[in-house]
Amino acid sequence: MIHQQHKPLIELRNVSKAYPVASGTFMALNDVSLTIESRKLVAITGKSGSGKSTLLNIITGIDRPSTGSVTISGVKVDKLSETELASWRGKNVGVVFQFFQLLPTLTILENVMLPMDFCNTYSKKERRDKALALLEKVNIKEQAGKFPSALSGGQQQRVAIARALANDPPLLVADEPTGNLDSHTATSIFELFAELAKSGKTVIVVTHEREFSAYFEDTISIADGMVNAQISVHA
Amino acid sequence: MRPRYMKVIRDLTSDYSKNLMLVLAIAIGVFGIGSILGGYAVLSREMNANYMSTAPASATIEIDGDISSTLLDSVRTFPGIKKAERRSTIVGRMKVHERWHPILFFVIDDFEKMEISRFRHISGTKIPTEGTMLVERTALMVMGASEGDAITVRTPHGSQQTLKIGGVVHDPALAPAWQEQAGYGYITMATLKALGENSRFDLLRIQVSENEYARQHITQKAEEVADWLKQRGIEIHEIQVPSPGKHPHQSQMEAVLSIFTVFSFMILLLGSILVATSMATLMVKQVRQIGIMKTIGGSSYQISTMYFFMMLVVCVVAILVSIPLSRLAAFGFYTQIAKLLNLEITDSSIPLRVPFIQIASGILIPMIAAAIPLIRGSRVSVRAALDNYGVSTQKVNRWSTFLSRTSLFTDTYRLSLRNVFRQRSRLVLTLGLLAAGGAMFMTALNVSDAWETNLKRIYTQRLYDQEIRLNERLLPDSVFSVIEAIDGVTKVEGWDFASSSIIKDSKYEITKTYPDKGHGSFSIQALPVPTQLLNPTVVEGQWLKTAGSNEVVLNQLARTSEMTIGDDVLLAIDGKPTRWKIIGFTEDVGSPATAYVSITTFAKIAGSSGKVGMLRIAYSDRSRNNSQNKSREIDDVLEDNNIRVSASIPVWLLHNAVAAHMEVLVNSLLAMALLMAIVGTLGLTSTISMNVLERTREIGVMRAIGATPGTIKSLIVWEGITIGVLSIMIAFVVSIAFSYFMGVFIGNISFRTPLTLTISPIAIAIWVVLITVGSYFASVFPARRTNKVTTREALAYE
Ligand SMILES: Nc1ncnc2c1ncn2[C@@H]1O[C@H](COP(=O)(O)OP(=O)(O)O)[C@@H](O)[C@H]1O
Ligand SMILES: [Mg+2]
Repeated sequence: MIHQQHKPLIELRNVSKAYPVASGTFMALNDVSLTIESRKLVAITGKSGSGKSTLLNIITGIDRPSTGSVTISGVKVDKLSETELASWRGKNVGVVFQFFQLLPTLTILENVMLPMDFCNTYSKKERRDKALALLEKVNIKEQAGKFPSALSGGQQQRVAIARALANDPPLLVADEPTGNLDSHTATSIFELFAELAKSGKTVIVVTHEREFSAYFEDTISIADGMVNAQISVHA
Repeated sequence: MRPRYMKVIRDLTSDYSKNLMLVLAIAIGVFGIGSILGGYAVLSREMNANYMSTAPASATIEIDGDISSTLLDSVRTFPGIKKAERRSTIVGRMKVHERWHPILFFVIDDFEKMEISRFRHISGTKIPTEGTMLVERTALMVMGASEGDAITVRTPHGSQQTLKIGGVVHDPALAPAWQEQAGYGYITMATLKALGENSRFDLLRIQVSENEYARQHITQKAEEVADWLKQRGIEIHEIQVPSPGKHPHQSQMEAVLSIFTVFSFMILLLGSILVATSMATLMVKQVRQIGIMKTIGGSSYQISTMYFFMMLVVCVVAILVSIPLSRLAAFGFYTQIAKLLNLEITDSSIPLRVPFIQIASGILIPMIAAAIPLIRGSRVSVRAALDNYGVSTQKVNRWSTFLSRTSLFTDTYRLSLRNVFRQRSRLVLTLGLLAAGGAMFMTALNVSDAWETNLKRIYTQRLYDQEIRLNERLLPDSVFSVIEAIDGVTKVEGWDFASSSIIKDSKYEITKTYPDKGHGSFSIQALPVPTQLLNPTVVEGQWLKTAGSNEVVLNQLARTSEMTIGDDVLLAIDGKPTRWKIIGFTEDVGSPATAYVSITTFAKIAGSSGKVGMLRIAYSDRSRNNSQNKSREIDDVLEDNNIRVSASIPVWLLHNAVAAHMEVLVNSLLAMALLMAIVGTLGLTSTISMNVLERTREIGVMRAIGATPGTIKSLIVWEGITIGVLSIMIAFVVSIAFSYFMGVFIGNISFRTPLTLTISPIAIAIWVVLITVGSYFASVFPARRTNKVTTREALAYE
């Protein structure tokens, strides 16, 4: 049905992640298999310590699975070398963290231009305009020349999203992006995500804030490293 | 500019004061290299140019008798001889401020047509008339006179007369007069005759036409000429072949400057290590930023280039600042040394290779030092970079465990100690840096102290205070009693001396003597056995013990490597070979090559039995002032007794002359020590403050659990001081080894004998104060800063 309109973007097959701990090994993820389709806004929910961040890190290639395979748009992410990963990630995944990870000595505009610089996307002249356009999209263009410290938390998070979108990646992931924001600001961020999903991006957000569940088309709920349920809400 | 480079520039400019320190750390090294190499390049070029401009003789043949102009013309046509000239050199005396000093008279055949051993006219007349002389510019000071003044002089056979200074010249082949404490005058034969000396040219200067830098060839040609002269009934005294094309001071200068070159590169190396560690620390501080950059697509390679670019900027700024300054310093350096060596700098351009070496080493050395930490730092995985798990897993090593168990110290201090040893690699680097700096600082001062101590040996070896060389040998009895009767004179001995050489396979006496008669000369000193006026440092065998024997003791400059105790050696006396048996070797400070023999035996050979050629006199008060007064009294006594003196050399003057020779060396060593001290203090302050800043978070934790700012401050300060004190101990041990080897090297190039190892208490004191005060301030400021940070901020600090 509607499912068939969306091609599977992300496929995890029997992914486990084990950490060595004092008492042996700890399974942060235990035989997870899941599929995420493109152009959707997907939530990953679960209690603290359930393995949400681990799952997200494995999707973005920040972490490698202990066993199992990760395929994103046909690319076997777990097989890429560190260098290949860096450039693949730069072009294909935008990452937003809970804390505002802007580089403090670069202006807002420069922060957004940095991924283009690293991945050598667009011509040098275009970069500035692209970055400004992104800042306009997240409603923060007026602050382009300022340094991150001059911005509020919500504003910084918007810049982080603009930066994550710099190379126009098909996939955007955010790990508790609103954890540090008041609920009003958080709402505007989720609205932004919904908009992005509508415009064709796949957006995966880790959150445990129930009140925003309405925004999500898919919700992957995990507990103790295992996927509890993958609920799809069809609009 | 690309955003990534923008970040580098902003990171650099946002922490101004610290990054200026990094620039300074490299700039000092690059500055040192530029000053030394720049000075070196100009000096060696100009020394060579100056020396060659005098058209130095390849060889000088000293004969008994006169070289007639017809004879000279024949020598000029001799095959393989390009030029020939005749000269004469007489050692006379001059009266300056009522005291007699030696003056060398160079008798020139034709002032208008000098082709060998030329000099440069500076002012006044070019050709001195009878009764006037030209004076070497450096001699004016020694003579206390200026152009146009009249000087009272006296030659060995003449009476007291005055000579007017008609003009001033520059003779770069001569050591500066104030270094030799002698006057230099150029006169015509007519003037020499008027001074009361025989008019004869006894020096034949030749220049070979081929292989002009081959000593062997020159010696062979000179011998051919000597043979030819001999066939014409002329007796040959000696043949002098100084090192071809080499200024008398060239090898010394090169040796000294190469030490400094090594020193300056060491300074740069230390500065580079300092910068590399700071850079590595910065990468640790920025590990999260590195993680972010990797997340948004930055590869390890791109990130490492950013930090290398940062280093590059620091290096380039350092180079830009230091090149012009080093050129100024090089200017100061070579003008000082040129003055010391009586050189005229005609071309002061510093060759391009000097800034090129500065640029290359100022970039490459820091880059190489930083390469491993920078590459490793940028290879950190995103996961590790963004992780918080790293903080608590810091390893506790055995030292820390041991120190935390011991109850020797108070709790606070024990914690400081534990912190010192916690980061072992950081500690090793900080200590290494400080210890190397301290070791070099102490070495520089130790060596200059050792130099001073060695100079003092001039007094302990020579128990006399005045040496008086007589014109003619005399029976001593009458004079001795008069001199001994002078108040303050404790002892008089009658000695004798002769210029000599060691005869090898050659028919002639071949020496390496330069035309100034001092550098490279060899002499026999004949003394009463036993003597009370010499206390030689015997390094092998024994001192002369039997009067009238054929035993000889040689000093280190007379000794050659193949000689051993018990060997026979042939020494030339009056051009004739005499056979001696070596019984000992000494190390003399401030003597030219000397062979010591019994005067009884010497007199027999010289046909002067019972007579002495030289007086050595000891005073009860050895001070310079007393010495000057006494020598005047003795002069009067000799005058009254109609005894003619050719030279009167007080020991203090010898001491000062030797000291003047190496003054530059000692001063430059001190300058190096100063640069080292700056780099060392920089290293100390920056590493300690980095240590503190890195622990901001931990300090926050301590504050949170109740530590007062006072406790934390004393914790940090004690930590800094402990590092400082440890480094001093290491530096001290290392400096002893360094000082020993430097002493051997410098002693050998200056006296051919190692300097005695000396430990300068002042060096230790200065370094201790510098390091403890430095450690105190280096830790007190960051400690205060961290204390200002609230606990909450400290905990949030990443
Ligand atoms: N490097 C690691 N070493 C050991 N355990 C880890 C490591 N990273 C995560 N964990 C553990 O794995 C579990 C899942 O972590 P995480 O994915 O961060 O949880 P969440 O994001 O859902 O709060 C947690 O219990 C955490 O303690
Ligand atoms: Mg998490």
